[in-house]
Amino acid sequence: MSAAPDTATPLARLAGVLPGLPGGTDVRARRAEALERLLALGLPSTRDEAWKYTNLRLIARRELAPAPSRPVDAGTLGALPAREGATFVFVDGRFSPALSGGTMPVGVTFTPLAEVLAGSIPDALSARLSATDAIDDRIRLLNSALLADGGILDVGRTDVRAELSVVHVATGGGAHSRLLVTLAPGANARLTEYHLAPNDAESLAVPVADLVLGAGANLEHYSIGLNGAKAVGLEDVTVRLGADATYRHRHLAFGAQLARLDLRVRLEGTGSSARLAGLLLAEHSQQIDVRTLVEHAAPHTTSDQVYRGVANGRGRGSYDGKVVVHAGARKADSKQSSRNLILSKDASIESRPQLEINTDDVKCSHGATTGALDEGMLFYLLARGLDRDTARALLTFAFAEDVIAGIALPTLRRFIEERVLGSLPAGALIRDFIA
Amino acid sequence: MNSIKRGDLILDIKDLAADVQGRRILDGLDLEVRSGEVHAIMGPNGAGKSTLAQLLAGRSSYEVVRGRVNYLGTDLLALPPEERARRGLFLGFQYPVEIPGVNNVYLLKAALNARRRQEGLPEVDAFDFLTLVRDKMRLMQMDDSFLTRGVNEGFSGGEKKRNEILQMTVLEPTLAVLDETDSGLDIDALKVVANGVNSLKRDDRAIVLVTHYQRLLDHIVPDRVHVLAGGKILKSGGRELALELERRGYDWVRAEASAA
Repeated sequence: MSAAPDTATPLARLAGVLPGLPGGTDVRARRAEALERLLALGLPSTRDEAWKYTNLRLIARRELAPAPSRPVDAGTLGALPAREGATFVFVDGRFSPALSGGTMPVGVTFTPLAEVLAGSIPDALSARLSATDAIDDRIRLLNSALLADGGILDVGRTDVRAELSVVHVATGGGAHSRLLVTLAPGANARLTEYHLAPNDAESLAVPVADLVLGAGANLEHYSIGLNGAKAVGLEDVTVRLGADATYRHRHLAFGAQLARLDLRVRLEGTGSSARLAGLLLAEHSQQIDVRTLVEHAAPHTTSDQVYRGVANGRGRGSYDGKVVVHAGARKADSKQSSRNLILSKDASIESRPQLEINTDDVKCSHGATTGALDEGMLFYLLARGLDRDTARALLTFAFAEDVIAGIALPTLRRFIEERVLGSLPAGALIRDFIA
Repeated sequence: MNSIKRGDLILDIKDLAADVQGRRILDGLDLEVRSGEVHAIMGPNGAGKSTLAQLLAGRSSYEVVRGRVNYLGTDLLALPPEERARRGLFLGFQYPVEIPGVNNVYLLKAALNARRRQEGLPEVDAFDFLTLVRDKMRLMQMDDSFLTRGVNEGFSGGEKKRNEILQMTVLEPTLAVLDETDSGLDIDALKVVANGVNSLKRDDRAIVLVTHYQRLLDHIVPDRVHVLAGGKILKSGGRELALELERRGYDWVRAEASAA
């Protein structure tokens, strides 16, 4: 007689969850394998350098398995900025045709992943699904073990940029989706991802995005975190770039009890470039962590990272960004800038830009600062007669503006500006200044 | 502020001593500035000129250890910096800060409205304000891009100084303290800045120029010139004193003062 299965932790209980998930034989075998590896590795702990800034108790205690979805009302999506092109909505990781809509851009095909998972999985896709090349494979394995749906987006080369939006809604429990995006050589797309959770949802969302850019392709990618106060989100993005491809990622994180982004970018093709930027705004007792890994694996590759953090109340945040220049990636050019603003004595942001260079003839720079509002700037505004609250709010906004100004979509930029103003102390006082 | 007449005492500093990080910078400074006057405070580097300017505007990094400063009959040192500005004290900064994302013109409008509220006036009409700003921008030879840019964002040194004087001409202060406004300006920009300052000379207003060089005074003629060295005013005189300082330097003033 075998011992009773261990059901003490949400992780241990997963073995009992897998048989109930939908899908064919292929995906079932894949899930079992992923879970086996995950159980062997365990969930991240604070002993891991990469997780030492993150409150892991929140993850360990969360229900990891998908819960029955609660209905999502139209107002949830209505609160988002107006969207062009097509919008794909995932509720608790499952594609919702009813909530999705818009106009499919020319040259784009979308396939719900569940359709593929129901049958035998083609080899090419199989390899991509089982790739463990995330910054932290344990998060990827968790997603692989529980994956029930997602989306495959193929973008062909056309004359106009394909406008695509993906909305992830987590209503409680686990939400595990996989987005596989492929841009054909020369294709051009904008992908805006929103991560939502209602205020009372104790959700744990693990959205994984796997992006492949063909030669000369161009992708502008936004990740907008608008989670409720109890949400936990572990976002895992990997990007591979072909020759002369350009990738632009802008991460704007608000809300959530714990939100983490793992972003790995591999500049594999000669002349490819990536520009990454982010704004994290941690208030109350929120924690927002950003971890990037940018690899220069070919000559003449460029990367640029601009991350700004603002922490107030007991908010905490971290930026842990590593650039690796591989042997042979001569003429690589990399810049990293991390600046953080601490608005209260109980708030904190850790900043750790790192650089590993394995070749000569490269140009790399990085800088990090963390501090309070600039006294010189504050005095300048006071000396013009502005009251202290207004002056402080203006300077905080100005700090965030570095990242906001680069949002190319006007509707999204205004939406984010409002969001920033709404979360600033005295934000209402300065609305008129922002034009 | 219409009640101020030519010759009224605007600023009255008595025996002012102030420390910066434990070091005595000002040490027994006396200065009287009356309405309708232009004063120039000159002196060698490190004499305390900028300290005086910033202290008057309310910078908190200075500790006043002795003396008093009276502005329009009130104790200036008791007022927070924003209150001083609203009561018509304007500091033209030596190094104006850049504030990206905060619109230049909105800052100016907020500054003007803060001043108007203090005087019991309604907020400025948006159209009138823009007309006023465009008018002053012409005077300062600034192009329209200033309207849309962030506060001093990406401005050259000369543009920043012009922007300071633009702000001053819009805010119409009762007492303008201009800290090294001439530094870093070429001769054309200097003339534009001087022109802006001169446009502000009035019976109910006083201007204090803090400067290292006499050349600014070729374009803005002062009524009084003071030499600030070692934390106090060592010598005061008319315009001719500035010319003498240009010719002879500051050492003779110090020698004269220590002999006295």
